[in-house]
Amino acid sequence: MRNVAIVGIGYTPVFVSKRRDVCIPEMISEAVENAFKDSGLTPADIDAVVFGNMQTFEGVNLPHLWSADYIASLGKPVMRIATGGTTGMSAFHAGYYHIASGLHDVVMVVTYEKQSEGDSQVGLMGIITPEIMAMLAAGIDVTGQKGMGAIGGGSAGGISYQASSYLHHSGAGIEHIDAIAAMERRNAAKNPYAHLKDPEATAEKIAQTPLISWPIRFGHVCPTSDGATVCILASEEKAAKLVDKAAWVWAVANCASDATTGNLIEGIITDPAEQMPAQIAARQAYERAGIEDPKKEIDYVEIYNGFAHQTLMFLERIGMCEVGEAHKLLEKGELEMSGRLPVNSSGGVVSTNAIGTSAMNRVTECALQILGRAGEHQVEKEVHKALAHGWGGLMQYVTITILADKPKKL
Amino acid sequence: MEETRVVNATWDISTFKFRIEGFGINNMLKKMKEAKLLGNRCHQCGTVYLPANFYCRKCHIAIHEPAEISDHGEVMSYTIGYADVRGNPLDEPRVSLMVKLDGSDTWIMGAGEDMKPEDVHIGMRVKVKWAEQRVGNLQDMESFIPE
Repeated sequence: MRNVAIVGIGYTPVFVSKRRDVCIPEMISEAVENAFKDSGLTPADIDAVVFGNMQTFEGVNLPHLWSADYIASLGKPVMRIATGGTTGMSAFHAGYYHIASGLHDVVMVVTYEKQSEGDSQVGLMGIITPEIMAMLAAGIDVTGQKGMGAIGGGSAGGISYQASSYLHHSGAGIEHIDAIAAMERRNAAKNPYAHLKDPEATAEKIAQTPLISWPIRFGHVCPTSDGATVCILASEEKAAKLVDKAAWVWAVANCASDATTGNLIEGIITDPAEQMPAQIAARQAYERAGIEDPKKEIDYVEIYNGFAHQTLMFLERIGMCEVGEAHKLLEKGELEMSGRLPVNSSGGVVSTNAIGTSAMNRVTECALQILGRAGEHQVEKEVHKALAHGWGGLMQYVTITILADKPKKL
Repeated sequence: MEETRVVNATWDISTFKFRIEGFGINNMLKKMKEAKLLGNRCHQCGTVYLPANFYCRKCHIAIHEPAEISDHGEVMSYTIGYADVRGNPLDEPRVSLMVKLDGSDTWIMGAGEDMKPEDVHIGMRVKVKWAEQRVGNLQDMESFIPE
């Protein structure tokens, strides 16, 4: 296995609800250009391209091939990765495998989502259409008013059950979800690439937004965003020639489990807040990175939190604190940019969600913190090691990446 | 500012010919006609599945041992819906429960009735309210009501 470094990062200039001024490939090319500018590389330097976006969201089949000349992939190996919400980090992992294996030296990972050109709800439904069809055949009431199945009762999705279970087992309250959502919206206000920004956000303000399905409020939910992120990876030999300072991959890990919530057909519904894959993937990542005590050794964490309670829940699941401790850290201000365990100073997914990019942005944001290049949302403490977490699939798939400020001893 | 554009089109879902075995759910539905719940047990690890899957997901072996499940159980998680599937506010909030029925290791979801949203809690005991006229579908179980 070879060491792999992040040598270039490119975002679209903005992440917003609707980019009417550009089409999908044009929007992607903005991030590609910015990654080239950032790394000083040109298309000729790229050996292979990995492409990631959410399946079905824009209804575009083969977007990696439609975008070929906009992602500088002409005459090069290209593969597309789609694992749901985790897509961005799975694509990053694939780029890592390309180089760590010794097959390629410089790989560009391209991720995007242009949700304004699609329908996220249709996309999400597309993932479970066969199950829904089977349940319809079995007489399910899709309005959620009665009967078995009653999937979350209307718009209340599996995520509400997850938050409910998390609150019960951690001892946290809805006010903690309000508070973490407010913290992330405030953080987002300092990140030029964030979507929902509110420098004045408070828990009280979030608490005034309407309940959608207990304990999830409007203010706890991510937006649908348009945007693209590109990351260029290089082998240790190449990186030494290209950059003075890089963020180094120390470990990648991922894990899946049963489809949990929503799969009534096969009788496998269990606690959606258990998130065993997060526990397993984190453990493997710490082992691979030689980390014995993540609480002491990890300086910064980016959690994939489509819904605000997940920041707290996943901090516990990945072992960054004890079960029932995350909301207490929040109360003490330790999760803030100035805190002992800063989390999601980018604003997290709850503030910006161009899905294909979302899990990748967790990695690039960790890299920016390590490089000291996060600008206004740079955390106060020094970041030597950072952990990026991705969550997706059918609620049961988790990816982890650990980055550090120097190459790993092989 | 440009308004959201809506393009009306039909999408004939019947174009897709999904094949789902539905082994477990069909077995369960047959018994639900008699107001009974039937799952199955893995003979190797003892895990009880409802609906009855045809293989054990932990042991990866075929399983055939029927297991009768009680229609009483415990609330493992819940949500209170304040909006319908289209996002419109509901007149009355709706209770939806995840319940672990006694004798089963997996959970089922269903509507909660005869309970105030503020009284619902994890660990609460509930029982199935069966429909009077049962036809062998998921609505044979009307809802969960307090035990």
